[in-house]
Amino acid sequence: MRNLFRKAKLLPLLAMIVTLGGCSSMGVEPWDRDLLAKSSMAINASPLDQSIDDHIYFSKEAASGGRSFAGGGCGCN
Amino acid sequence: MASPCEVLIKTQDKIFCEKLAQLTTSEVSRIENKYSRYKTTNLLSQINSSNGGSIEIDNETFQLLNYAKEIFDLSDGLFDISSGVLGKFWTFKNQIHIPDNQDIKKALSQIGFNKINYTGKNISLPKGMKIDFGGIGKEYAVDQVAKILNAHCKIKSDNFLVNLGGDLFAKDYNNTDDELQNEAWKVGLENPKSGYINLLNGAVATSGTSQRSFIQNGKTYSHLLNPKTGWPIENPPSSVTCFAETCVLAGTYSSLAMLQGSDAESFLESEEIEHILVR
Amino acid sequence: MQLINKHNSLKNSANDSKRISLKSKLAIAATGLLSATATETIANEATDEGWYFSASVLAYSETDRVSAVEVIFNAETTIDETGKLNIKFVLDSLTGASANGAITQNTLQTFSRPSGNGQYNIAAGTTPLDDTFKDTRAQLNLSWSNLLSPESDYQYTLGTNISKEYDFQSISLSAELAKGFNQKNTTISGGFSVAAEEYNPKGSTPIGLTSMAIRDNYPTEDVYDLAFDATRGSTSEAINSAELLLGWTQVVNRSTLMQFNYGYADKSGYLTDPFKIVSVVNASGITQDYIYENRPESRTQHSLFGLVKKHLNESIIDFSYRFTSDDWEIDTHTLDLHWKLFADGGSFWEPHVRFYQQSAADFYSTYLDQSEEVPPFISADYRIGEMSSITLGLKYGFEVNKDQRAEVRLEYYRQTPKSVGTERVAGLENLDLYPELDAVYLQVNYYF
Repeated sequence: MRNLFRKAKLLPLLAMIVTLGGCSSMGVEPWDRDLLAKSSMAINASPLDQSIDDHIYFSKEAASGGRSFAGGGCGCN
Repeated sequence: MASPCEVLIKTQDKIFCEKLAQLTTSEVSRIENKYSRYKTTNLLSQINSSNGGSIEIDNETFQLLNYAKEIFDLSDGLFDISSGVLGKFWTFKNQIHIPDNQDIKKALSQIGFNKINYTGKNISLPKGMKIDFGGIGKEYAVDQVAKILNAHCKIKSDNFLVNLGGDLFAKDYNNTDDELQNEAWKVGLENPKSGYINLLNGAVATSGTSQRSFIQNGKTYSHLLNPKTGWPIENPPSSVTCFAETCVLAGTYSSLAMLQGSDAESFLESEEIEHILVR
Repeated sequence: MQLINKHNSLKNSANDSKRISLKSKLAIAATGLLSATATETIANEATDEGWYFSASVLAYSETDRVSAVEVIFNAETTIDETGKLNIKFVLDSLTGASANGAITQNTLQTFSRPSGNGQYNIAAGTTPLDDTFKDTRAQLNLSWSNLLSPESDYQYTLGTNISKEYDFQSISLSAELAKGFNQKNTTISGGFSVAAEEYNPKGSTPIGLTSMAIRDNYPTEDVYDLAFDATRGSTSEAINSAELLLGWTQVVNRSTLMQFNYGYADKSGYLTDPFKIVSVVNASGITQDYIYENRPESRTQHSLFGLVKKHLNESIIDFSYRFTSDDWEIDTHTLDLHWKLFADGGSFWEPHVRFYQQSAADFYSTYLDQSEEVPPFISADYRIGEMSSITLGLKYGFEVNKDQRAEVRLEYYRQTPKSVGTERVAGLENLDLYPELDAVYLQVNYYF
């Protein structure tokens, strides 16, 4: 039962994925990429912050990774 | 620059575009920061607040001054980069009253490119005079950006178009003869009566009164001021669009044509300048 | 609309031999202007395929616990238009104290230092903290990415990471391949990473579940040394890990981007924390003994991550959700929101909120009841216990000049460990067994 409940928490995420899955033609033309081209719109727009946050959360919490590789690289956990 | 600016390059290479975007925006910013009359600490403001003293200038400023002098001489004093001070009398948006002739005469004493002393190393303006490269600055920026783009784009023949607020330069490496209209950039002119043009190679610049003019007592006063009299030029065309090899030239032709007032057409015809004129 | 076809080239005015026209004089003057200023333009080009640097300084401080300073230096350059090289150097230094896993008591407690050389006392009613570690760490990251070929849809990234501190070192390698589809509106990527880490703590690693030998309990130094040595395991322990990361990035529309990742991480080896202990208490809640913790030798974690980035009128919202689950029965949920608001002159404000929640590892226990059998795995490390945390932050960025910009970020982190519902032994009611942790950190970034 616990396992089922745990898996149910994934539903919102799966719903997001499934809705998008049906849209293979989604996107923009190359000339409409003005906003997307901004460095602030990059997936990893603040690598320095990301690096520091990942390090802090890795040493203070049990989970790591998700956005990028989980590997710690330090003995802090 | 206070107007929309864009660079269009015919290429699929995103990284190449990003690099050029960086280079071109840096160059435009550089020129704007250096010569904008709205900044308080740049070279231009130093020159304008020198109060009769001598300010050190660099080669770029020296060359711009030389060019301004050439236009001053050739236009018989009508194109004068020191005439900006007249602007305070003419707001044009809500002109309440026509300025007093005495006030204008006083202002005229602080105008006159011929009163400027400059060398390759420094400049000194008479007290109270202010210069401003607004008349050729944007066109100069277009040409500088075109130079940067040409240096990078000619390798793979990536055609480009530079548009800084209506002053344009286009380059087509494959067609030096412009029969292939499908390949050309279609540029719409502000005055819808002019339709649009196919631009393949060369520069386009427009001068117009459409945005800044007012009517009083049945007379239309344009924003173009005659630096020798202090009063607006009479009967300038509504807009003049000129074509030339470089944007600086195209801009100069259109400005000079406007300054001719009712003689704009004959000026352009006699000089055999490619143009589109709207009254 | 009238289509006007204009012939745009400069007409030859050489035919007009009557006078040197205004037009030709101007043309000469314009050419002079533009060619004279050529050098300044070309000079700009030299800096282009250059290096972009960024640096960061972090000052981190927990209330009464750990303080840290970290410095990052990053250099990036583009080679041959599509190749990107990134070099990152990190230096950090930690001081302060960290919870050792033992619970608070109404009496003074004494603990041996991890190396066995010396001991420390903790006052009654306070959370036991070990301040032995004062460590400095250095790390180097290298990464190289490029297209498989100039016109390719495929991009590969190779990376390596080396880290060294006094008693720990780590080296990892990673490789990733990404392919763009549908005019690069969709990107699918797969990455693999392996790491080899090694612990070499001073005084060797303790043997899990053995009792901590405390000097005060022994008549002589020699006898104590013998007892302490008996708790010692190997001088060096290894941890190996392998990870898989699959990603799907999708452009939704002109202003929206989404990313979904699935990660699988497998760690094996010495996963125990050699510095953590568990209090063994009697029916009255009084600690009788401390035993070294012991964790399983393998851990497998699955993660699911979803991100949405949307460009609004004058701001960008970045929202992500991450779910992880592992075979230690730790489930976590993370919600992270950044809202970048653009202001004048290239500056911005970016508020940040993060919620985090985790469930306890199945072998986590706040303490061990003396009457119970010692389980094979047990740990009182609050970091694998049940807890939630919240982060509130604000960042301000501005342009220093046309080539340099800076950012300042202030974050507040509050961690709230929760009771796992184990029966509270009488005698412990007045004690805080789940102390909250507060941390503040300030970070300054500089880009040049």
